[in-house]
Amino acid sequence: MADRVTNVLIVGVGGQGVIMVSKVLALLCQRQGFEVKQSEVHGMAKRGGAVFSHVRFGKKVHSPTIPTGEADILLALEWAEGMRWLENLNPESGVFISDTQKIMPPFACRNRSRNQVPIYSRETPAEILDKVASGYALDAAGLATDLGNERAANTILLGIMSTAFDFEPQDWLDIIEKFVPKNSVEINRQAFLEGREWVKNASIPEVVTYDDKRFENESVMRNELEIIPHWCKGCDICVRMCPEQCLELNDAQVVEIPRADDCTGCRICEWLCPDFAIKLHKVAVPSEISKELVLET
Amino acid sequence: MNIEPHVSAEQFDVREYMRLDLFPHFLCPGCGHGMALRAMMWALYENEISMDKLAVVSGIGCSGRLGAYIDSNTFHTTHGRPLAFATGLALARPDLHVVVITGDGDCLAIGGNHLIHACRRNLNMTCLMLNNEVYGMTGGQVSPTTSTDRYTTTTPYGNYEPVFDSCKLAEAAGAGFVGREVTMQVPTLKDLIRQAFDYNGFSFVEIISDCTEIFGRKNQLGESAEMILSQKAATRPDSYGTKVDEPFRPNPLKTGVLVRSERPEYRAVNYQGKKSK
Repeated sequence: MADRVTNVLIVGVGGQGVIMVSKVLALLCQRQGFEVKQSEVHGMAKRGGAVFSHVRFGKKVHSPTIPTGEADILLALEWAEGMRWLENLNPESGVFISDTQKIMPPFACRNRSRNQVPIYSRETPAEILDKVASGYALDAAGLATDLGNERAANTILLGIMSTAFDFEPQDWLDIIEKFVPKNSVEINRQAFLEGREWVKNASIPEVVTYDDKRFENESVMRNELEIIPHWCKGCDICVRMCPEQCLELNDAQVVEIPRADDCTGCRICEWLCPDFAIKLHKVAVPSEISKELVLET
Repeated sequence: MNIEPHVSAEQFDVREYMRLDLFPHFLCPGCGHGMALRAMMWALYENEISMDKLAVVSGIGCSGRLGAYIDSNTFHTTHGRPLAFATGLALARPDLHVVVITGDGDCLAIGGNHLIHACRRNLNMTCLMLNNEVYGMTGGQVSPTTSTDRYTTTTPYGNYEPVFDSCKLAEAAGAGFVGREVTMQVPTLKDLIRQAFDYNGFSFVEIISDCTEIFGRKNQLGESAEMILSQKAATRPDSYGTKVDEPFRPNPLKTGVLVRSERPEYRAVNYQGKKSK
């Protein structure tokens, strides 16, 4: 580690603490007498977008960015972000550390009807850890929630990463204290030690965790648009305003719905119809059919 | 009513509160008055106002005919005088929830005097003024709210009169609650009308509607979809703050709740407890 440059790539989603982790690492390496270069992209952070940070340290560092396929450690704070950056990891000696937490981006929900399964990375942790030279995957967000604050998940992962370096745990803790809010110093200290403990008997989780119980008890609903043809005056408002463009005027200048499957039930056509000719009905699909629907997507 | 918005949207069916034998209604294709009527009925539903305790008073004009479609106590009065009739009704029957539906010509030109005195008295009622910038039913004459340089049947060289700002008029005359919204924002309009219904005193809501057939076509403002979109683009909601930001919202026409004062209601000070000498 002494002569060559060590590359650490830290990735995640806005708000998870990617920048905090990279700052801790950069300052620690600086204090240990290395030259450190760090560069990051956090422009999309406010919109829940991707954030990444390159940290390079060694005796002499020239470029602030890591060449593809040369990262020694890839620390992913979110599972799909880890997948996205996997090719940057050194295939022979790279260490992959990832939280199995799912944070669903809006564009993963292509099918915008209620209760649909979003499009997301389908690899299980075991499959990914087979591909990399060495790797750890854990539900850090769940562990941090058990400790009392879900936001300490990044410190747990930092604790796991710290075992890959020769620095003393106390040095890490001193610097973590500088970067976290005063009232969460204790929980971050616990989280860091919890991470170091976890590595000693690391296990591979079976599934990627996704903790969203909002729609758990809801059955799949189908949207049915009831149109009274002789009330419609063909003003074209609903056709123009439909975000899914599933309405059309027929030859008699009366609205009809040729693409009924695209309807997401947003009710814009119902609200904007000045003639009260449109009414949306949400019809529950029987449970046997709804299971098939979920499996299809 | 404290229910989730999407639950309310699911449960509320406007057709349950309409005189369905009169449908399809008489309004032109793409007239915004229908959306305003839906928002009003939705607000009544969410405020849990019973149809038996509702009295809708309307004047003459396209807006005046809306009252006929509501399955409730409706009162179709003379041109410009719905507020005068409603004042008498509200004084005689304080248990009724009085709503006045009126138009821009009805309320500001012919009934202008009644408006300022209704605002002055601050009697508990709600006035919904549907502003479509024109006298639609009588053939498209110029109205006090017709924008400058617009063509109507009585201004063939363009309207050169300045525009009447009804919200400022109502505020100056002393209305306790003044609001403005465009018809396209149906849920937002519904929330505004709900607040107007809850207010104890005279509440005035200007609803910017579109007249596609008579006003829009003559001025080449496009079809209904374009008209309602341009109306939305020309207004600035409360959430945009007071600053006029040039490229995005250059128009200073504010929407939302414009005035909400703590003036005492008419009956609270002038009516109860006074004895004749």
